[in-house]
Amino acid sequence: MDRPLSAAAERAAPRPLALLRAWFAIGTQSVGGGSSTLFLMRLFMVERRRWMTQREFLEDWALSRLSPGVHMVALAGLLGRRVDGSRGAALAVLGMMVPAGVITMLLTAGYGLVRDEPLVRAALAGTGPVTVGMTIGVTYALARTAVRRGRRAIIDWLVVVASAVAGFVVSSPFVVIVAGALIGALLLGRERKVPSESPMA
Amino acid sequence: MDALELFWTFLQASFLSLGGQTALPLLRQQLVDAGVVTDRQIIEALTIGRLGTGPGGLYMVSLAYFALGWIGAFVALVAITLPPLTILPLATTLRHQLLSAPFAGAVRGLALCTSGLVVSTTAFLIVPGTADGVNSWWQAVLLVAGVALGIEGKRHPMLIIAVGAVAGVLLSR
Repeated sequence: MDRPLSAAAERAAPRPLALLRAWFAIGTQSVGGGSSTLFLMRLFMVERRRWMTQREFLEDWALSRLSPGVHMVALAGLLGRRVDGSRGAALAVLGMMVPAGVITMLLTAGYGLVRDEPLVRAALAGTGPVTVGMTIGVTYALARTAVRRGRRAIIDWLVVVASAVAGFVVSSPFVVIVAGALIGALLLGRERKVPSESPMA
Repeated sequence: MDALELFWTFLQASFLSLGGQTALPLLRQQLVDAGVVTDRQIIEALTIGRLGTGPGGLYMVSLAYFALGWIGAFVALVAITLPPLTILPLATTLRHQLLSAPFAGAVRGLALCTSGLVVSTTAFLIVPGTADGVNSWWQAVLLVAGVALGIEGKRHPMLIIAVGAVAGVLLSR
């Protein structure tokens, strides 16, 4: 097994069960999405257990934002590895994702039992627009963190708008995504943006 | 669509996204166009994802449940967990390259274009005149409020969804 990467963790190596318990708590107590998950991760890793420093946490947070897919999974893996090597990474990801995934499945199964009730259908007429609105708002906030400063921001927002328009006229999002990554590699890398939105902001 | 195809669909969407929500355009194209799930189920999955615990990207597990039941949900859980973990070996072996301008540009390009695609995808979900579209003034108000609160990011999603549910019960006929 590779060595833990955190000096703080080497001083007080946690037991696997303690690690698993912390990540289980994160996976089952963070309601509402990424921001509450991030809050609990920092609370457990830095404040309560003191398994790493604030700076180490921020380093992994910045790295996780370069990963494909769900960034919180990448962050769990990075933080877990920092605390207890490969074993820590495995415990962190499993400890968070398995209970949270099972809760989501149970919620979905439970919803399936009541979805055709008139009251539930009426509620969905309200939750639908507000949830779609939140999805758009959170995505805008995500795009804002990726946009560079100064005049280059205009180019970056044009890419967002062009992609949105392409979404209406191009049948395959895959083509748009590959084009976006290529254009980015060729034209959008000249200024590396320092993350402006710290999870502790 | 069988379990293996579903696994591949979610794995691919996850690999080509930055953050869980940006997988939505690819998932909608592959699942709705194939008749595996409906737009209504996408909206339902997004809502359940906000009400559940853990990362917001778990709406994909809910969506997979709609597509293929418990097997689909477990398959999707594995498929969306694997791609983010590629950062672990990359962070140690290619740390220098991860900080290079072309890579930073590719990540930025991916983030920007998938964000734009999410806007067009969500627009398809709420087209006025459709069964699940925004068909009344109060639904339009809820949509705009949802956008504003999503940008603000300070109110609890469960509270926002609860307000939407109450409004729906009181105002829909």
